[in-house]
Amino acid sequence: MVRYVVKRLLIMIPTLLAVGIIMFTLMNFVPGDPAQLALGSGVHSEAEIEAKRVALGLDRPFVVRLGEYVTKVFTRFDFGKSLIDGTEIKWELMKRFPHTAKIAIFSIILTVVVGLPLGIYTAVHANSLGDRVSLLVTLLFDCMPSFWTALILVLLFSLKLKLLPSSGAKSLVYFILPTIANSLGGLAGFTRQVRASMLEVVKSDYVTTARSKGLSERDVIYGHALPNALIPILTVIGMRFGSMLGGATIIEVVFSIPGIGQYLVNSINNRDYNACTGGIIFIAFTFALIMLLTDLLYAFADPRIKAQYVSSSKKKVK
Amino acid sequence: MDDLKKRHGRHHGYHEKGRKGKRRHHIDPSIKPGSAKYIWASVSHNKGAVFGMVFLALIIVLSLLSPYICKYNYSATDFASMKAWPSAQHWFGTDDLGRDILSRVLYGARYTLIIGLLSTVFSAIVGVIMGAIAGYFGGIVDSCLMRFLDLFQAFPSLVLAMAFCAVFGTGVDKCILALGITGIPGFARLMRANILRIRNMEYIEAATTINCPTWKIIAQHIIPNAVSPIIVEIAMSVSRNGLAASSLSFLGLGVQEPKPEWGQMLAATRNYIRDFPYMVIIPGIFIVLTVLSFNLIGDAFRDALDPNFKD
Amino acid sequence: MAESKEKFFELRNLTVKYHSGSSIIHAVNDVSLDLNAGETLGLVGETGAGKTTIAKSILRILSENSVESIDGEILFEGRRILDMEDKEMQAIRGKSISMIFQDPMTALNPVKTVLSQIAEGYKLHHNCTKAEANKRAIEMLEMVGIGEDRAEEYPHQFSGGMKQRVVIALALACSPRLLLADEPTTALDVTIQAQVLDLIRDLRNKLGTAMILITHDLGVVAEVCDKVAVIYAGRIIEKGTLEDIYDHPTHPYTCGLFAALPDMDKDVDRLSPIEGLPPDPSVIRDHCDFLERCPYACEKCKKFDNKMIEMTEGHFVRCWKANEEV
Repeated sequence: MVRYVVKRLLIMIPTLLAVGIIMFTLMNFVPGDPAQLALGSGVHSEAEIEAKRVALGLDRPFVVRLGEYVTKVFTRFDFGKSLIDGTEIKWELMKRFPHTAKIAIFSIILTVVVGLPLGIYTAVHANSLGDRVSLLVTLLFDCMPSFWTALILVLLFSLKLKLLPSSGAKSLVYFILPTIANSLGGLAGFTRQVRASMLEVVKSDYVTTARSKGLSERDVIYGHALPNALIPILTVIGMRFGSMLGGATIIEVVFSIPGIGQYLVNSINNRDYNACTGGIIFIAFTFALIMLLTDLLYAFADPRIKAQYVSSSKKKVK
Repeated sequence: MDDLKKRHGRHHGYHEKGRKGKRRHHIDPSIKPGSAKYIWASVSHNKGAVFGMVFLALIIVLSLLSPYICKYNYSATDFASMKAWPSAQHWFGTDDLGRDILSRVLYGARYTLIIGLLSTVFSAIVGVIMGAIAGYFGGIVDSCLMRFLDLFQAFPSLVLAMAFCAVFGTGVDKCILALGITGIPGFARLMRANILRIRNMEYIEAATTINCPTWKIIAQHIIPNAVSPIIVEIAMSVSRNGLAASSLSFLGLGVQEPKPEWGQMLAATRNYIRDFPYMVIIPGIFIVLTVLSFNLIGDAFRDALDPNFKD
Repeated sequence: MAESKEKFFELRNLTVKYHSGSSIIHAVNDVSLDLNAGETLGLVGETGAGKTTIAKSILRILSENSVESIDGEILFEGRRILDMEDKEMQAIRGKSISMIFQDPMTALNPVKTVLSQIAEGYKLHHNCTKAEANKRAIEMLEMVGIGEDRAEEYPHQFSGGMKQRVVIALALACSPRLLLADEPTTALDVTIQAQVLDLIRDLRNKLGTAMILITHDLGVVAEVCDKVAVIYAGRIIEKGTLEDIYDHPTHPYTCGLFAALPDMDKDVDRLSPIEGLPPDPSVIRDHCDFLERCPYACEKCKKFDNKMIEMTEGHFVRCWKANEEV
């Protein structure tokens, strides 16, 4: 198992390296002169701009800069400085990450806590009134853009009912609306996936076997059907969590939460290419890590997959 | 004897639940499943899909006709009637610059639809070709292509689209390109998986053993069987990309002012939500209905194309 | 109404209907059977005749979504199974009546160890500690020839024959008084079939369990059963003791089944199959179900009222010609 984790970590490196190279290259060819941007708006003389180019190291050949950038990123986790305000991108991202992480964690908890029981209920009572209502409501939520949901929630709970704050990240209360807005769409999709997965499993012969043993319906569903239905669901949860850690961009923008997603949008809008490249590579890092964790969990939950890894690593030992 | 009958009656209850089970739409059994006729019969029996098609047809026609049928130009500002609530004059009210929201919403439908459709066509064409090459040739070609597509999947899809927007810039065409590229891996993987699955099926082996030529196997067996999941994915992708286009525009990375894209309209008027909520609510409802329509149509196609999927 | 002597197990006029699309499938029609404690009944018929449906109705584990109705009575030790509350039924399942399923490949939960799957039922019905249940499960596994060292393994680590042994151990863990064995050997290799059959027979003798053995293999029935019921298109068409059926097969279908068997003593080029296909299960006929395939069919068969005729005591046949011969 350890061998497998190490192997997976090693496979991650070339992918991330390629991501770094591609992002840096793409951003390099974006129209617009970084030196001019770094000097800010206003008219600047040729000499001034040239001096800034040298200061930023832009006068050196592309390949040299690329090599230096990638080395810095991979050895020191150093993404360079922002073109606009000169802040260290690494520290800026680190400062913002907790906000994004909070939204991601709260949202995934909300999604699982509501979606899992609802999905199980609707699968067990398939075609009942509750199931139909839930299908309709989740389908509707699935189609609602999160920025719209967020604005409607603000309208209702902050402006009309005056119950919850509508922007900022000062305390946990500020995260209630963002979490709900961030979860609704995903929650709907998640519920439908749990339902589909459960429906598939409930038809299995081994569920009938469990029932024939005299187990209560509860034990049959939660003890035998659910563990099997959860295996594909784990990947869904991992994907969702991974992409939310990459910044709940829209939610952060609507609720003015200083997170990774907001940073990325701001840097794109300000043409701060250093910050943009750094942010995107950072997101790729966290996403890849979460996907790795998901795969490991998957192997842990399914003895058949686990056996593959164990046996393949045994073979390698020989 | 009566007593016995009563008991007979009672124990039916336990199993009676099953009767509520959903029964299939009644389609003429003489129509062969999988034929175009069957698919049409099945989709047109689906209430959701009919709603979706009617709504989309209506919104497309109204959007195209909006410059001729609307009283106001979508970009005409009217400072005399700024921030007017919905009324007989302005059915959906006016925005902060006095522009008629009805005209803007109808005109703006084209952006969501065009971006959703064209970006999907782009990803479908490129993705299907790549997937087919990877799946058919296998080996090193397959590995290279798939590793390359893995790079795309190192990002959450909205972040990837944002990255492309950062590189290409803003505008309808750039937005189509960004979303189109983002969607390639999905189609490529789907196509590849299909080809691999079908290639290993027994009927392909059977066709090979009777010396059926390769081109015939591809044309008659592989392609028809790979088409249905692709069609379903296309319907889903249009709705996904339409939504993503609105999201990007909302963030200021997609369609720009003065084009009345729905997401962009929301972003422009969100500060007035407290006093003029209709400005935000109305374009949102149109986004929801459009996305819903595509989803319902996609669901109906999935049910029609893959009879095994249902129940 | 004359009260018959209370039997250990009895089916009275069991009728099961499924719904499929817009049509009703008559899976089991008016099936009546009885069984004494410790007896083995062979339920013989071709695929789709309704054998598995009967077994699943007894345990009430038919999928609720596809069942239209279940009528008739199922009496176990004098209690009406179809009238029971869920709780009562759960107390019977696995403890008093248990079932061996047809396909060992899918009958076991892939994410649980075989030990925990066997111990689970025992713990539930005996209210004992986990350790005791595990001990019992290991005993059961050893009884079916699987060592303790493999108890903590998962189903995917076992071969088909081994899985079927696990399924058998699972079914017998609580020493049930009635065992429903649904084609326990069909999914297995011929060489393993004999072993598994011997195993079931030994265990039955050791534990004194009554058994309903569902099969389409007449050889298996001859080896194991005391009584036989032949089922065709959801109806019993002939039932009696093993001797009744094997020495005096009367219904043309039963005769056809025997004629279709290869005979070691005779040198024939071809076996004689029963021509034709089973009838449409969505139609209820007012004449003999076997009419279309019967070599002796005549006009009178079209008016046959489908009643069972008792030939000798306990030997019933659903064919009017049986009466003529007597």
